[in-house]
This record gives sequence, structure tokens and C-alpha cells, in this order.
Amino acid sequence: MTAAGEAMTAGAGSPIPLVSVRDLRTWFHMGGVVARSVDGVSFDIGAGETVGIVGESGCGKSVTALSILRLIQPPGRIEAGSRIEFEGRDLVTLGDEEIRHIRGNRISMIFQEPMSALNPVFTVGDQVAEVARIHGGVSRREAWNRAVEALALTGIPAAGDRAKQYPHQLSGGMRQRVLIAMALMMKPALVIADEPTTALDVTIQAQILDLLVDLQKKFGTSILMITHDLGVIAETTSRVIVMYAGQVVEEAAVDELFSKPHHPYTEGLMFAMPHIGRELERLNVIPGTVPAPTDWPQGCRFRDRCPYSWELCEREHPPLYQVGVAHVSRCHLAIEPERRNHPHPPLVVLQGAAVA
Amino acid sequence: MRINPLPARGSPLGRTFARVIERRSPRLALAILTAIVLIGLLAPLIAPYDPAAQPDIVRMKDLPPSAAHPFGTDPYSRDVLSRVIYGARLSLLIGVLATVVTVTLGVAFGAIAGYAGGIVDAVMMRILDAFLAIPRLLLLVAILAAWPRLSIGALILFLGLTGWFGLSRIVRGQVLALKHAEFVTAARALGASRRRILLRHLLPNLVSPIVVAATLGVAHVIVLEAGLSFLGIGVPQPGASWGNIIRDGSDQVAALWWMSLFPGLMMVLTVMTLNVLGESLRDAYDRSW
Repeated sequence: MTAAGEAMTAGAGSPIPLVSVRDLRTWFHMGGVVARSVDGVSFDIGAGETVGIVGESGCGKSVTALSILRLIQPPGRIEAGSRIEFEGRDLVTLGDEEIRHIRGNRISMIFQEPMSALNPVFTVGDQVAEVARIHGGVSRREAWNRAVEALALTGIPAAGDRAKQYPHQLSGGMRQRVLIAMALMMKPALVIADEPTTALDVTIQAQILDLLVDLQKKFGTSILMITHDLGVIAETTSRVIVMYAGQVVEEAAVDELFSKPHHPYTEGLMFAMPHIGRELERLNVIPGTVPAPTDWPQGCRFRDRCPYSWELCEREHPPLYQVGVAHVSRCHLAIEPERRNHPHPPLVVLQGAAVA
Repeated sequence: MRINPLPARGSPLGRTFARVIERRSPRLALAILTAIVLIGLLAPLIAPYDPAAQPDIVRMKDLPPSAAHPFGTDPYSRDVLSRVIYGARLSLLIGVLATVVTVTLGVAFGAIAGYAGGIVDAVMMRILDAFLAIPRLLLLVAILAAWPRLSIGALILFLGLTGWFGLSRIVRGQVLALKHAEFVTAARALGASRRRILLRHLLPNLVSPIVVAATLGVAHVIVLEAGLSFLGIGVPQPGASWGNIIRDGSDQVAALWWMSLFPGLMMVLTVMTLNVLGESLRDAYDRSW
């Protein structure tokens, strides 16, 4: 087999990556049942690079993001053997006090829902200033001044006045700018953006993405962009990781992935995207749903929904195959590529028909 | 982009308060309560006589209301108006201080239980259940009867020590509900410590329900103190509280009607205004979320 090792990634980044996630497994132990939400994920993020993680709900992308900052709460647990190397240290085994100094300082996070990620009873200025108070050890006044500066940097007009307002007095776009100001306050090495534009209007989405890219150039920050939106991926990232059922199923440079998707799941995601100039009665959908994380199927986890699956896919869980330059895919088609010419209705469709 | 003018009150407590005084009955209640508090604060300036003075225990006792003594005199020839005025001072003081004790203990216990969760929470809640099973009045009567001549400070302490269980439950429930809020995760993601999250992020979100509970709690303590004083185990003589003024005339309630009517009226007024205020704070708070 020409498979790359399980722990291997496409690794197109710089020689020494900023973050190196190896065999990350985050499992939720719920009274005898184990949900293996993230199940052996490996990837690198280079300094100054923007990496995207794409996948549908329940594929484990948000749990991956939370795991990097060790924000997983019981019954969730990062299993032994997982490693997240960052600036020469393993974040998985770091002490509570040490990880606290990394959070918001060296690695920060932008959340999906700017309204619920802000504390309703404090002014936004207070909340931005708090970051400097926690990590900077600066005076109240100094922290406030830096907060106003950071708010101004994110393009909030009259930042000094806005800082005195409460979250409910700001628009959704403004609130997301506040969260970005908080995330970038300490000029972190990595910003994890978990669906940063999902809750926003389309016009505001573009502004916020531009702002992120802008600030990234200014500070040289790396970004891990978590999203289900391939549009966001195309616009902001240089390398993409596709996740399915708690695992990386494909990883490639963004151009390569869009021009030559290898994994049938990635292919399905591309077909599910609307294209200008392509006339379709309705958008393609991938039939079926993600299996439950408590009960991943044997063999290939995408088998039931795949139009190419055959007997090998049931027998053997596919490894990550090297399918191009810095391009890996977790699909047996890598060894029998001619099967791509003979699609069949996926198993879920056949079974559905049998039931009906 | 145009900046909206800043609303006068942005903070949640400010908004709740603004909504409360929008309406007439809480506004009236607040005015009456302010007057009673002022009477209590300024008692030495307002009271016509010394509340403990017994000028002539034979000829001036049990006098009905008159120009010289608008609320009459008691069996010890003391001026009832002066005693009611000083009573306002003492009853409010006891109500407020006991509630301070209650809020401190209730918030601390509830917040720790809720935030710690798991086994700590379970044990703390069972302890609370045990406390809640004891009737408060009975417990107080037992303590105070066993401990004659208790100082007012000790009375306040016992009133406070026996009153925090309910609030503790409210606080624990709120902390439990809030601790998984996304802004708490966001604060953790920014590197805030557990202590900081509890004190800076969770508790400030509980100010409104705590204020509601405290307002209603003050009213409750005032009634309780009056009851204990009426039983003769509350505020010791010659101190004046509304409860022990009523007790002084309780032997002949029908004949010395002024001795129960006036302190009773003051008490009803105080408790009613506190309840109206507490209830409308609760309404306003419920509507603001």
C-alpha cells in the first residue's frame, strides 16, 4: 500500500510549524458510552499561515478547536497519547496555570455568536481591557487605553464612546469586531476563528473576513479558520483540512483542493456549493447524515454515503494516502482510481429505497 | 456610519431600575419607603421626647392620643410617638443588617456549590436541605429563649444566620445555568482564572435576582423581629422596636388601642412598600432577559 503513515500530514507549511497537532483524540465519556468526537486528528499550522478546517456539523471541527486551548469540559477528555505542540511545549500535558498564560495571550479564539460570547453586564471596553489586565499586568487606565486602541484598530468608529457601551447596544458586526479586538489584544501567535461569520449578514461577513486578513498581515498571526462555508475557505485560507466523522479525510493547498478534490466527501461538498453560471434545478446534496460519534462504522466512515464504495471500504479503514504534492486523502480510490468512473447510488439511498 | 446617542442607562441593573420607577405603584412605594428611612435616620431630630424617658409613671401612664402625645403614652409613661420613630430606626437597621449577613452567606455558599458542581455541589445541597427542614421561627425561638438578655448585635446575627438557605438555592441555580454560557467559555479562552470568572463574570450577572431577594428579605426580617420582640425574646427593653411597643400594650389591647395601632401601621406600611418594590423589581428583571 502506498499509504502515508497515520500521523503524517500534507505538511506544506514552514519547516518548523507553529502548531503541530498529532493524533488528537477528544472523547466524551457518558455513562459507559464513549463519543469519539475527535478521533486521531493530525495537522500543522505554519507561522503566519491561514489553515481552514471544513466539515459539516458534528464532524468534530469545533471540538478540535476547543481542544487546542484545552477548553474541553467533562465528560469530555483529551485522551492520553494526543499531542499538541506549540512553541516547544505540549499543550495537552501543560499545567492549568501555564495553559492559562497561553489562552488569550499566545493563542486566542473568536467565537461564532458574538452576542453570547460577550458578558451582558459589562461594557465592551471593560471586556477588551480585561485581556490586558489578565496578561499584561497593566494598570486599569492603561488597560482601558489599550482597549480603545484595539477597538479603533478593528475599524470601530468613535471607539472611545463605543467602549463605554454594553454589548446589547451594538450591532452584530460591531460585536464581532469587539471579539476580534479581544482576540488580537495581546498579539497572539495563533487565532482560532470558530465560524466567525456564520451569525452575521452576508455583507457584514465580507467586511469581517477582510478585517481578519488585514490584521493578520499586520501582525503576522496564524489563523485556524473553522467553518462549514467553502466560500470563507476560498477567500481566506491557503491550506484546507476536510474533516469527517472525527477524522481528517483530506488535506491540500486551497487551489489544489478546489481544482482536484480527491475524497468523495470533499467532492460532495463542492457539488453542494452554488456556482454562478451553472444551471441546476436544485443543489446537490450528500445523501444521509454523519453517523453518531458513539458508533463510528467499521471500515470507511463515509462508506454508506459514498457513490464509489466497494467491498474494500467495508473491510478496511482507509489510511491517509498521498495523492499529490502536499495532498493527502483518506480514500481507497487512491489505489483503484478507475472506480471513480463507475459511480453507483450510495448505500443509504439503496437502503432507503428498500424500506420504501 | 452614524453613532446612536448613548442611552442614559445602559447597565442591566440601571435598566431594571428605570423600568421599575416607570410605573406608579412602585414609585409611590419608593417614596413612602424613603420617608420611613428618613424618619429612622433622623429619629433624634424628629422625636419629640426621649423614647426611654419615664417622666411620671403614675400620672402620665396609659394616656390616649392628645396634642402633647399624638400617639399617646405607654404603661411606663413613655411617649409612643417617640418610641415608634426610634422603632423605625431599629427595625430597619435590624432588617438591613440581618439581610447583609443573609446575602453574604447565601451568595457565597450558593456560588461555590454551583460553580464547583459534582460531588461538592451534591454534599453542599444536602446540607442545605437539612437546614431548610428546620422551621426558622422555631429555631430562633429556641435559640433566643435559651439565651436570655441577648444583645441586638447577636439578634441580628441569628436572624441573618437562619435566613440564607433560600437565597443560596437561587444563586446556586443561576450559577449552574450561567457557568456553561458561551461568555464564560470565552472568558476561559482569554485566560481568566476560575476565581476571576466567578467573581468578575458570574456574580455580576446575578446582581438583579440578589437585589430582588434582598428587598423581600428585609421585609421578612422586619416581620420576624417584630414577632420575636412581641414574644419578649427580641429587642430587649428599654430599646424600642415596633414589635415590643405592641407587646407593651398587649395586656389591654382594647383599652390601649393606640399602642398596637400606630406601630402596627408603620410595620404594615414598611413591609408592603418593600414587597411592592421587590415584586416590581422581579417583574422588571424577568422582562429584561
